[in-house]
Amino acid sequence: MKRSAILTLILLTACTATLPPSPQPTPPVADEHAHHDHSQMAVPPLPQYTPGEPRVATLDSRAPLITMRVMITHGATSDPAGKEGLAAITADAVTDGGFRRGNDIVTKEELAEQTVPWGSGARPTVFTSSRTTTFFFTAPRDVIGRYVTEVLRPMLTQPVFEAKEIDRLKNETVSQISSLRSEDLEGLGLAAIDQFVLAGTGYAHHVLGRETAVQTITRDDVIRFYRDFYRPENAIIGISTTDPAIVDQVREAVRNVNRDATTPSPAMPVKTPEAFTGRQALVIQEPNAPAASVHLGFPIAVNRTHPDYWPLYIANVWLGTHRDSFGQLYQKLREERGYNYGNYSYIEYWAGRPNSLFQIFNQPREQQYFSLWVRPVKHEHAVHLAKAITYELEQLIRTGLTPEQVEESKKKARVLYLNLGETVPRLVGARVDDAFHGLAQGNGFLDRYIQSVDAVTVEQVNAAIRRHLSTANVKYVIVTSTPHLAATQQQLASNTPVFGKSWTDYEFTTAKLPDGTTVWQVPEAKLPTVQLDAVWAAYPLNIERIEVRNVNELFK
Amino acid sequence: MRLRIPLIVLLVALAASAHAQFFPYPVQKRTLPNGLDVIVIETPEFRDVVSFNTMILAGSGRENEKGRTGLAHLFEHIMFRHLHDAPGAYDPAIAELGAFNNAYTWYDITYYHPLTFASNLERLAALEGSRFTNLTYSERVFRTEAGAVYGEYRRNASDPGLRLEEILGDLMYGTAHGYGHSTIGYLDDVQDMPNAYKSAVRFYDDYYRPGNAIVVVSGDVKAENVFSIVEKHFGAWKAKKSPEQPDPKAFNGPKKQHATWESDIPPRVLVAYMVPPYVPGSKDSAVMEVLGELMGGETAPLYRKLRYEEQVASAMGVDNRSAIGFDARPLSTYVTVAKDKYDAQGRTLLDRIDADVARAFEALSTYSSQADAAQRLESVKAQLRNDILASFNSPANIAENFANYYRFTRDPQVLEKVAAGIAALTPADVDAFAKKYFVPKNRVSITLAGKGGAQ
Repeated sequence: MKRSAILTLILLTACTATLPPSPQPTPPVADEHAHHDHSQMAVPPLPQYTPGEPRVATLDSRAPLITMRVMITHGATSDPAGKEGLAAITADAVTDGGFRRGNDIVTKEELAEQTVPWGSGARPTVFTSSRTTTFFFTAPRDVIGRYVTEVLRPMLTQPVFEAKEIDRLKNETVSQISSLRSEDLEGLGLAAIDQFVLAGTGYAHHVLGRETAVQTITRDDVIRFYRDFYRPENAIIGISTTDPAIVDQVREAVRNVNRDATTPSPAMPVKTPEAFTGRQALVIQEPNAPAASVHLGFPIAVNRTHPDYWPLYIANVWLGTHRDSFGQLYQKLREERGYNYGNYSYIEYWAGRPNSLFQIFNQPREQQYFSLWVRPVKHEHAVHLAKAITYELEQLIRTGLTPEQVEESKKKARVLYLNLGETVPRLVGARVDDAFHGLAQGNGFLDRYIQSVDAVTVEQVNAAIRRHLSTANVKYVIVTSTPHLAATQQQLASNTPVFGKSWTDYEFTTAKLPDGTTVWQVPEAKLPTVQLDAVWAAYPLNIERIEVRNVNELFK
Repeated sequence: MRLRIPLIVLLVALAASAHAQFFPYPVQKRTLPNGLDVIVIETPEFRDVVSFNTMILAGSGRENEKGRTGLAHLFEHIMFRHLHDAPGAYDPAIAELGAFNNAYTWYDITYYHPLTFASNLERLAALEGSRFTNLTYSERVFRTEAGAVYGEYRRNASDPGLRLEEILGDLMYGTAHGYGHSTIGYLDDVQDMPNAYKSAVRFYDDYYRPGNAIVVVSGDVKAENVFSIVEKHFGAWKAKKSPEQPDPKAFNGPKKQHATWESDIPPRVLVAYMVPPYVPGSKDSAVMEVLGELMGGETAPLYRKLRYEEQVASAMGVDNRSAIGFDARPLSTYVTVAKDKYDAQGRTLLDRIDADVARAFEALSTYSSQADAAQRLESVKAQLRNDILASFNSPANIAENFANYYRFTRDPQVLEKVAAGIAALTPADVDAFAKKYFVPKNRVSITLAGKGGAQ
């Protein structure tokens, strides 16, 4: 009962901001298969479950192709224990497992053949994230009615989940997990920090699942997940047209998802992360890692609905704008010292890394975490740079930003808007996320981006930094190779200075004094660099707990 | 008479459709006295945005000096360090202006693509003009940036795709042509980049010239204004003829190689054929455009056999974009092999997949005799048309997609020719292409698997 009440509250909050409130699900009162003879009972009739309404976000676009998205507000956090990976397998089985259309079964092969002439985007695809599952559809405007009738609607409402397809998807998932371990150094570290920081929550396993758990998933599990969570009231539609005929057709299609369900969708409250104190490190031993990667993170309470979101966004732009030379971390580690390809900070989970230049929409989550990322560096430099980024974060918290720095960051943030809202699919994606967060259309992330950035003040930025950022309770992830494991552990465990690049690396020259002493000649312009290097080297990490795991133990 | 009116209307409609522009935006071109082509694509519906793109017609394929691979990419980095630490330094000025700024390097091109508000056009053009016409940087900055490139190499090195690409280039071209190595360069050369200063200066001097560059500006702009601004800031760029690229030596295949990987990863199979230089609108090039879906899409018989029927592949694709080059390039099929099947069957499985891929490509020589050949080709052609239309979804994407075709013949109507070439394609054209290019002497096969597991 408690779980359902929570769901009711969440849905009400989410719906009111975007659409008129939808009919709310009622608490479960009986097993849907049980027979109740009310004539023999002295109780009033039990309330019936009424499916809710999908939320709809529209965009007025005249582009020749129409973009549609259907987000289900359940993802990997709704995976049952022991079945991690079920949400993703279910989603893939909807697009690949065949569906019923009239009296026919449409296989994935037939679906592909039918959709090819309408463009690559017409073949439905799906992306499962921790909190959501989003289906993507694109079709030319002149065939859109037929597309919804023949593809979108039957696929979402009448999937058949062919057993052989589920087996194939399971095998492919296991293969992808294997690849994540051994051929994607950056993806491995990013996945590890995501899980390490949010330990104890549904976020603490990879969307692909655990290898052994995936192998136990059955067709019945998939059907149960679909029946439980694919409901109209759990759906958000995004569409790049305001044409009422098209919008209504898509809405009606989604209304019919699991229309015959008699009990509400189970509530899946998201747990808050395990509290931890002090600094902890997870060192991942990837025997052949060609380089090391370094991550730092801790949970924060800020997400897009939080009043401190925009001030913290501006602070983050200053510290480490993703894939951009503007951020301080990038400037100090790459530009000044040439350590690696880039160094960034995040106030939100950022899907699509390492390749995406800009945030990819449709992977929203309520629970966020702050993180820093040092892209691959020489193994010998990993601990020095862990010290460096912690020190730099600490400095930010201690000194805050000056008015000039805030203005520069705001200018940079305005430029980011150009890319975030660059294309029609991006605009639609952003509006779907707005609906997830309960932000009304017209008041969403991109709708109010520029105004929100403009409105941020220095005081707000520095107060948000102090309120939400800290170096006291943080977790580190370092991925390194077997030959460098012991040294990395030893450096982390001791508080002795650890230096990074040497003066030879910086190509400083030496000279001999008249008395024969050899001295280094450090260019004056480089003095601040070497002075800060020494500060970083001496900075005590004070790691309280170090856990070492072989890469093969991860995602098992 | 009552019957003829609709017929006339229909004929007029068909004629209009036949002459309708495929590319939905007018293309305006001006060539400056120094030889720089300036293209303006007005897209006023993207309000307040300008995308300012400079394409240098030289990438890693122009790196022919032994031990100095990766210079084109390094130079892409150096371009952002113009006037570093000096008054008017480029990067801080871009930050001050407020622009997204990035670039990339590939075999044939290096592409710079800042994006900003339209009101910044003149200031952005001045900054771009300054670095392209008068690049200034110190050897120390060069050495620091070389370290960043090494970091980028390390980042890529955990991907088996880089190893496959290196082997493929070596087998197809050797060291005599710049296509023989990957864009990032060989590890030894990347490590030695700090000492490549003089070579880098030479590369810049040879290829960063107005006659070897294209400026494409798109967004909420007026063409005449753009022409005037670009001439003002790029007009002083000194002309010099860039060196001619030697043609690649004739490739004599088939060649085959197996590589090992340190970790126990899902194995890979790569099968590539040398295909001709890209000529927009030509039959051969139109065939290359449709091969991505025709052979590597979900409707392709080969794809279905490997991924669905036998389930020996967890991923498969045909990379026809990398096949589009100034010179003959490899058109590659990549297969990621199902690990469990490999563990059971070993190297035999890799050889069998290699043979399946080769057989499927070489069987295209009789494509037109397949029962559904015409219908399938029409579907793929329609898909391609819709995909290209869908790609015109922002000023930056419009400019980039246009420039990537324009670079071949410098014809403003190039996209019309590409679309017409695809529309005219028949199954017999596929046959003819396959007979000529999908033959054993044009083929390279590479397999890669972890040291552990099956052998």
